[in-house]
Amino acid sequence: MFYRLALVFFSLCFAGGIASAQMKPVLTVYTYSSFAGKYGPGKIVKERFEAVCNCELTWVTAEDAGSLVGRLRLEGEGTKADAVVGLDMNLAAEAKALNIFAPHGMDVAGLTLPVAWTDDTFIPYDWGYLAFVYDATKLPQPPKSLKELVEDPSGPKVVLQDPRTSAPGLGFLLWMQKVYGDRSDAAWAQLKPRVVTFTKGWSEAYGLFLKGEADMVMSYTTSPAYHVVVEKKDQYKAASFEEGHYLHIELAGMTRTSKNPELARKFMDFVLSEAFQSAMPEGNWMMPAKAPKSGLPEAFKDIIEPSKALLFTPAEVQANRRAFVDSWLNATAR
Amino acid sequence: MRLKPPHPGSLVALAILALVAGGFLALLQTGSEGSNLLAIGPYLLRVLAFSLIQAGISTILSLSFGVALALALTRRRFLGREPLLALLGTTMVMPTIVVVFAVLTVYGRSGWLAQLLIGFGIDAPLSIFGYPGILIAHVFLNAPFVAKIALDALGTVPAEQWRLASSLGFGPSQIFRHLDWPVLRAEISGLASLVFLLCFKSFAIVLALGGGPGRATLEVAIYEALKVDLDFARAASLSLVQIAICLTITLLLHGTLARPPVATTLRGAIPRPDAADRRLRALDFVVLSIGLLFIGPLVLSILTGFSHIGAITDLDLLQALVTSLGIAATAATLACCLALFLGAAARNRRIVLRSPRTAALFDLIPSLLLAMPPFALTAGLYLIVRPFADPSLAGLALLPLINGLASLPFVYRSVAPRLMLAEERYGRLSSALGLEGLAKLRIVDWPLLQRPLGSAFALAMALSFGDFGIIALFGGAELRTLPYLLYERLGAYRFEEASAIGLIIVLVAFFLARLSGRLSYARD
Repeated sequence: MFYRLALVFFSLCFAGGIASAQMKPVLTVYTYSSFAGKYGPGKIVKERFEAVCNCELTWVTAEDAGSLVGRLRLEGEGTKADAVVGLDMNLAAEAKALNIFAPHGMDVAGLTLPVAWTDDTFIPYDWGYLAFVYDATKLPQPPKSLKELVEDPSGPKVVLQDPRTSAPGLGFLLWMQKVYGDRSDAAWAQLKPRVVTFTKGWSEAYGLFLKGEADMVMSYTTSPAYHVVVEKKDQYKAASFEEGHYLHIELAGMTRTSKNPELARKFMDFVLSEAFQSAMPEGNWMMPAKAPKSGLPEAFKDIIEPSKALLFTPAEVQANRRAFVDSWLNATAR
Repeated sequence: MRLKPPHPGSLVALAILALVAGGFLALLQTGSEGSNLLAIGPYLLRVLAFSLIQAGISTILSLSFGVALALALTRRRFLGREPLLALLGTTMVMPTIVVVFAVLTVYGRSGWLAQLLIGFGIDAPLSIFGYPGILIAHVFLNAPFVAKIALDALGTVPAEQWRLASSLGFGPSQIFRHLDWPVLRAEISGLASLVFLLCFKSFAIVLALGGGPGRATLEVAIYEALKVDLDFARAASLSLVQIAICLTITLLLHGTLARPPVATTLRGAIPRPDAADRRLRALDFVVLSIGLLFIGPLVLSILTGFSHIGAITDLDLLQALVTSLGIAATAATLACCLALFLGAAARNRRIVLRSPRTAALFDLIPSLLLAMPPFALTAGLYLIVRPFADPSLAGLALLPLINGLASLPFVYRSVAPRLMLAEERYGRLSSALGLEGLAKLRIVDWPLLQRPLGSAFALAMALSFGDFGIIALFGGAELRTLPYLLYERLGAYRFEEASAIGLIIVLVAFFLARLSGRLSYARD
């Protein structure tokens, strides 16, 4: 009884808050928290979209891409989301299976992705390669290939993320799988003694690296740009590996349950426009999916360019993730 | 024969059980065609074994260290004792990532200890990943909390017994055996199961400091099922395994529960006759020094966030602070009310109805809530309310509810024993006087409850203040708490600002603990 009363009470409070909002049509976009946070591109995107749409854009956030899909699954067709920004390739199949996304129906010509884009549900909005980031003042000779890193017993120590709980963690697992295939178990066993730990998320791992617990950390090729632009430090570098790097692509989609399909479609078009794309590099620290005409910021021109993009399709990831994770567990959990 | 209306506490207990069961059913019903619901597999079995050992050692260390600290603190008065006591109530509520970074700042490869060793000419590479790191973090989180609760318990020894002890000329060992040990023993089993459950479920800390996926907890698999596989049914069945194990442990420990002797009393501060003993003086000095050397640097490392506070003071922060306080206060109020009802029902069973077994069932409910992964409970409850409420509003309403349920075990620990004490001391007298209902609550229970309830409220508030758990799922631009802000900044590479936000969370917890310390001056 108490719960029901409390529920009614809170519902009333929040309903009152919402009723007092303006009468303009509202576009609700789900995203992950750092996108809409103080330093994320969310504020600029909101401003620029509201300037052209005669509407109000509201961000609703979940912690990360995984939580976003979890929340959408919980909400089902009752979701308030008109559009979602912040899914990634490895979750795309699961997200599509929720059956709440509508086909984007857009012409995606002119993308500046390292791979061709054919998906009809999601559009890419930014991307980056996974890479090991290191401090050049402490590690003057980083490994030149993944093989060198894995197979040199006296190589640098690395901190990784757990592929079960973290997006870059899963990305690196897939990277190992691309390079080593069936022999990745043995490769993991070789690398394991130099893995400081597998953390729950990117933040813990990067924090451990900054505190000096490891020589290299799994992150993105774009990470050094942050240190150059914001901290004016140029000792952090991303190591370029001969075999190519695993590609991380972030996706946006619109829901078929949206009450404002016109507005949602307008937003999807906006995502690939100059106004949105130019906010990605220094807002989200990723490469824009459609390079703006104004060009990239200076620091992004120094970013390493891998020779080859490694990528599994969403369907492959969905079909094999369990098996990959299990064999990783067998190889690393003693 | 006349049917008596059920005790309101029983209704509350039923409501909680119904919520939990309903949440589980909803999760299980989301159905997955996979039949591997109960398949644990060799990996999870190893993880379970590891969790049991890790949590066992963490519990033993936290309890022995905490109790030793409490004994030393109860015998000594010194400058700065009050802030130190408040500090003890602070560590437990720190966000896990703050604890991980603190442990590494002090004990890491390039941490303070490593630098100190190099200063002494010892250049041995430190590596705490594995058991050392996990144990340091868990003892840092839990031992101070144990010390605080044990210290409160030591203060409940009746004044008559102290007078008797000093007129009989008790020595230090007799004082310990006849006065201190009985009250400690009554607390220890409850504390042990609380600490055990917390360590058994510990997740981000174990992954970050464990060094490899062999050192993980069941909670990782639950998280994976919920957030990556989206297999809610499997998450629910794994949660059931976790609950079964935790309840078994609680029951085992419950068997060792012994209630202390009670007596009618009014007490002021009693100078302990054993405080002057020389050997004890040396012992207390050693214990307090170790405690300070262990807790001090870790807390100091968190204070380094201070220099970045300027960078984070803005409207966002203020809003998040207010939101956090609001949610925390609601959750704490809820937790206190529920604990009072449950505690009263348990007392009623134990003393009035003389049925200690059913009373023990009430004691189990808080443990049940503690064993429950909040994420799974949230998801389950959300599925229940989804058909009736607007989805975004439902998420917001669940937030204080889940936080309140999560802090209920802590509140119950301090409230329930006091309710028992009041009944044992004054029960017969009040029934002889015909005191009942509200009048009894005001005259008999309240004076004894006031103090632990106040500090439990502050603790519950601090706990949900530092909690990130479900805000990860249901936060939003309009609902940002401080821990949420912390993780948001981390995601944007702002590690220094995150450390400052971590410091603010710790400071608020400290002031809440200080406040509850002030409350505890209220007389018994």
